[in-house]
Amino acid sequence: MDYMILSATLLAIGVYGLLTKRHLVKVLISIELIAMGASMNFVLLASSLDRALGEAFLILAFSTDTCVTAIVLALLVIAAKKYGTCDIRKLAEIAESGRGESKND
Amino acid sequence: MIVELLAVGLVVSACLAVYLDEAVYSVASLACAFIFLTVLYALNDAVFVAVFQLAVGAGTLAVLFLAGEMLSEKPNKEKPLRNVFLVGVLALVLAFPSIFFSVAVTPANVSSGVTFGRALWDLRAVDVILQGLVILTVVLGIAIVLHERKGA
Repeated sequence: MDYMILSATLLAIGVYGLLTKRHLVKVLISIELIAMGASMNFVLLASSLDRALGEAFLILAFSTDTCVTAIVLALLVIAAKKYGTCDIRKLAEIAESGRGESKND
Repeated sequence: MIVELLAVGLVVSACLAVYLDEAVYSVASLACAFIFLTVLYALNDAVFVAVFQLAVGAGTLAVLFLAGEMLSEKPNKEKPLRNVFLVGVLALVLAFPSIFFSVAVTPANVSSGVTFGRALWDLRAVDVILQGLVILTVVLGIAIVLHERKGA
């Protein structure tokens, strides 16, 4: 059983979701999967090097992950309230049309 | 054997979390992935990490459930069950390399016998304090942004 390949698989699934999915919740889930793969690598290296120090680093990585989740969720709520959609492409179209209107003005 | 089963379950639930359109089902799959990962950590003698993962995962999933239920539109057409099954089989195939192949080199045993508490509070105390400050800043920033939106 190789945890490094397993974490790479999780990373690949997360990147695939990040590139193909349009809904912001799905993007956040993909980010979670990438963070999951990274934290699994920490555990693997912690078991082969210094276990306690690796676990301490992982606890710190969790807090960063939580911050990222909080920020993306705040952006999601703001986008949903302001534009009524969580679709990334629709949000990009709205932003483009907003830029075009401001240029015309 | 149980570790291999957990790895397969982890990859399958991760694939379903990305594939399923309905946000609630997707978050439920992510919850399964979190549980599999927690058990994997516990089996690797990383009990502290497993507990933290469970706590962080529970919070994240609760918020994601709420956000997914509130903000997602219902998909126009349900994905056929056959496609979901195919994705499960594909995920099973994706899990095989981690079970049957290995890229890990033999690790050198350089453990210095440092306890978890000492590593966290003596060796990485500055990091812990700085992370606390970062989290506090993020919380304040999000509160200010949401408050401004409310006022606008």
